[in-house]
Amino acid sequence: MKLPDHITLPAGKRPAKGPDRTPIYAMVGNPNCGKTTLFNALTGLRQKVGNYPGVTVEKKIGITYSQHGRPIQLIDLPGAYSLAARSPDEAVLRDVLLGRREDTPQPDRIICVVDASNLERNLYLVHQLLDLGRPLIIALNMMDMAATAGMRIDAKALERSLGVPVIPCEAVNGRGLVELKLAMSRIELPLARHRWDVPAAVAPAVAELQASLTGNDQRPPLVARAEALLLLTDFDTIRVAGSRPLSARTLGVLAQWRERWSAEKTDWSGALIHSRYAAINTLCTGVILRGRDQGPSTSDRLDAVLCHSVWGWLVFAAIMAVMFFSIFSLAEYPMNWIDAHVAALGTWVKGAMAPGDLRDLITDGIISGVGGIVVFLPQILILFFFVGLLESTGYMARAAFIMDRPMSKVGLNGRSFIPLLGSYACAIPGIMATRTIENAKDRLVTILVAPLMSCSARLPVYLLMIATLLPSTTVPTSTKAGIMLLMYAFGTLGAFGFAWLFKRYLFQGGVPHMIMELPAYQPPRFKEITRHMLERGWLFLKNAGTIILAISIVLWFLTTYPKHPDPAATPTEQIAHSFAGRTGHLLEPVIKPLGFDWRIGIGLVTSFAAREVFVSSMGVIFGVEGTDNDPAPLRDALRAAHWPSGAVLFTPLVCFTLMVYYVFAMQCMSTVAVVKRETNSWRWPLFQIAYMTGTAWLVCFVIYQAGRALGY
Amino acid sequence: MPNSRPNLHALCLLPAGLTGRVCELRGDESFCQRVREMGFGEASLVTKISGTTTSLCLVNGTRIALNHCAAMSILVERLPAGAR
Repeated sequence: MKLPDHITLPAGKRPAKGPDRTPIYAMVGNPNCGKTTLFNALTGLRQKVGNYPGVTVEKKIGITYSQHGRPIQLIDLPGAYSLAARSPDEAVLRDVLLGRREDTPQPDRIICVVDASNLERNLYLVHQLLDLGRPLIIALNMMDMAATAGMRIDAKALERSLGVPVIPCEAVNGRGLVELKLAMSRIELPLARHRWDVPAAVAPAVAELQASLTGNDQRPPLVARAEALLLLTDFDTIRVAGSRPLSARTLGVLAQWRERWSAEKTDWSGALIHSRYAAINTLCTGVILRGRDQGPSTSDRLDAVLCHSVWGWLVFAAIMAVMFFSIFSLAEYPMNWIDAHVAALGTWVKGAMAPGDLRDLITDGIISGVGGIVVFLPQILILFFFVGLLESTGYMARAAFIMDRPMSKVGLNGRSFIPLLGSYACAIPGIMATRTIENAKDRLVTILVAPLMSCSARLPVYLLMIATLLPSTTVPTSTKAGIMLLMYAFGTLGAFGFAWLFKRYLFQGGVPHMIMELPAYQPPRFKEITRHMLERGWLFLKNAGTIILAISIVLWFLTTYPKHPDPAATPTEQIAHSFAGRTGHLLEPVIKPLGFDWRIGIGLVTSFAAREVFVSSMGVIFGVEGTDNDPAPLRDALRAAHWPSGAVLFTPLVCFTLMVYYVFAMQCMSTVAVVKRETNSWRWPLFQIAYMTGTAWLVCFVIYQAGRALGY
Repeated sequence: MPNSRPNLHALCLLPAGLTGRVCELRGDESFCQRVREMGFGEASLVTKISGTTTSLCLVNGTRIALNHCAAMSILVERLPAGAR
C-alpha cells in the first residue's frame, strides 16, 4: 500500500516497504459507539465490551484478513469526542494518530466508527480526522438503533458528500462486516473531499501556525494544519503537543494570536467549533431523514424511574441486595459440592499414600491451600454475572448518575464513580478506568481511594469469616448477605471519606464539572456476559493453580521445617517451632491488640500477594495443625482454633474485625504495581499502603477493644 | 451566579419535560469547549428529562448527564411547551 506523501514515520519504527508489509488500520470513534464490538468481530479477539463510555482506555492490537487473505493490523483506540484530548485515554487516540507514540507505528488508514443514531455529534470527530488528510473509512454502526429511533440514514449520500467509503453496519449482529472488509481490502482509498474552510478571520492564524509547525517543529504539512487547529481550539500546548515541546517560534506565534484575540475579546476557539458544526449540519440535511416524533423511548421511560432522585436510589439498593443475596443463596449447592469433593480427595490421598512429608505436602499444602480457595468459584461467577449484567444493559452509567450527588459532597463527581464501581470486580481495571477523568487531581484522588472498594479477591475472605462466624444451619441467608453488604458499605463509605479528606487537604479544588453521555438501554447480551464471567472464573482458577499453589507449597514448607526436636510434639508445637511460626510470633505483638494471633499474622503477610491467599494460608496452617485423617472443612478447623490460654481464637468479634481489616488494608501487590504505573511514581503507591494499612489497624483496634469492653 | 439576561435560566432550573435553547456557556474554557464539541453549544436545543441536582437532558437524540455545577454553567432560554 502506498502511503500518502505527507505521512512520515519516526526513524526506527518505519515499516518495511513493499507489497508484503502488513497495513495498519486505526479504529477510532466517539465513546460507546461500538468500536470494540466491531474490533472483536473483525479480529476474532475477545476484548471487553460494555454499554457505557470509557470501557477501552488503552490501545488494543489485533489482526484481521483482507478479502484476498492478506493480514491487516487493527489498532482499537479509546473513544474520544474530539482530537483535543482532555483525559489520558483521549490522549492515546490523538498521539497514535499523529504518530507520537514510540511503541506504536503511525496507522496507514483510519476506520472511524460512527454511531448512526447520533450522527451529527459523531461527525465532529470525523471532521477533525478529515483534516489529517489520511485515507479514511466510515463504519456507520448501530443502524438498527437509528431505525428504531425513527431515522433513516442515506449512507450513499454521506459517501458522495465526504468522498470516503461509508459502510452501514451493525457490529453486534455481524451485519456489514463483509462490506467493511471489502473496503479495507482496496489497494487505494480515495482521499476525502473536505469542503470545510476555516473561518476567514481565523485562517491567517492557522496558516501562520501551520507554517511554523512545519518549518520549526518538523511536522508534516497536514499534521501541522491539524495541530494548528487544535492549538487554536485548546490553548493548553502540553495537552495538544504532548510531551514533545513546541519550538520557541511556534509558541511565540501562538502567544501573539492569543494576545490579539484576548484584546479583541473574541472567542475564536468557540467560532472554530461552531464553524465545524455548521458544516456538519449542512452535510446532514440531505443525509438524515427523520420520521415523525415517536414520543418518549423505552430508555426515556426507564430513565424516569432509574434516574429519579428517590426511585433511583431504591432500585440501586434493591439491585445490590439481590446481588448479595444471590451470592449466598445460589452458590450454596455448588460450593458444598466442591467442598465435599475437595475433602474426599484429601481423604483418598491420605488413604492411598504412606504417611510422610510428601503425603502431607499434597494433602496439607496443595489440597488444603488450593482446594480451600477453589470452593469460592461459584460466588465469584455470580458476582461477575451481575457486574456483566449492569455493564451490558447500560445501568452502570445510571449508577454513576445517581451517585453524582453524594460524590459531589466529597469533591468528586459521578464520573469518578464508574472506576469505583469497576473496582468492586477488581481494583486494577478500576484504576485504569480513571484515565477517562479529565482533572488530574480528581483522577489521583480516585486512584487513591479505588482499592477501598471491596474487590472480588476479598470475597473468599469475607465468605470464610461469615461461615466461621455464623453456622449455616441456624442463621438465615439474609443475615449473611446483610453482613456482606455491610462490608461493601464500609469500603464505599471509606472511599468517600478519604476522597473528602484528600480533596479538602491534599488536592484542594472545587467540584469538577461532569458531562457524561448515558447510552440507550440494551437487552443484556448473555453470550458476552457468560464469556466475561468464564474468563474471570478461569483467571481465578489460574491464580489458584499458580500463585496460590506456589504460596501454599512454600507456606507448607515454612510450617513444616525445621522439624521439632521432639518427635512426639503436637502439630501446634511443630508449627510454632517452624520458620513460619517464628516469623508469626515476631509479628504477633503488632496484631495482638486487634485480636489476631501469629497464625492469622502469617495469613496477613502472605495475602499481600493477593487477598484470597489468606484463605489458602489458613487452609495450610490449620490443615497442618489438623490431626484427623478425615479433613474437616476449613470453617470448622477455624472454629476449633484456640489461643494457648484455651480461649477461642475466631470469636465473632475477631471474625468481624478481620473482615474490617481486609476492607481497609492495602493487600495486593498487583494493585501497587498498577498505581505506580498510572501515577508514574512510587510516592503514591507507598502513600496508599501507609494510609490504608494504617487505617485498617486503627479501625480494627477500636472495634476489637470496644467490643471486648462491651463483653463480646 | 448573577444572571445578566433575565429571560435566561440555568439548565438545572429548567423543568423536566421542557425544551430550552442554549444561549450562553459559563465556566472555564475547557468546559465550554467540551460542551460545544459534544454538540451542546450555543443555539442547540436541549430537553430536560429529569433532575435538579444532577440533570439528565436530551440533546440531538443523545442522553447527557450533567452535574449541578455543569448545569449551572449552561444558560438556556425556555421554549414554549411542545417546541422542538
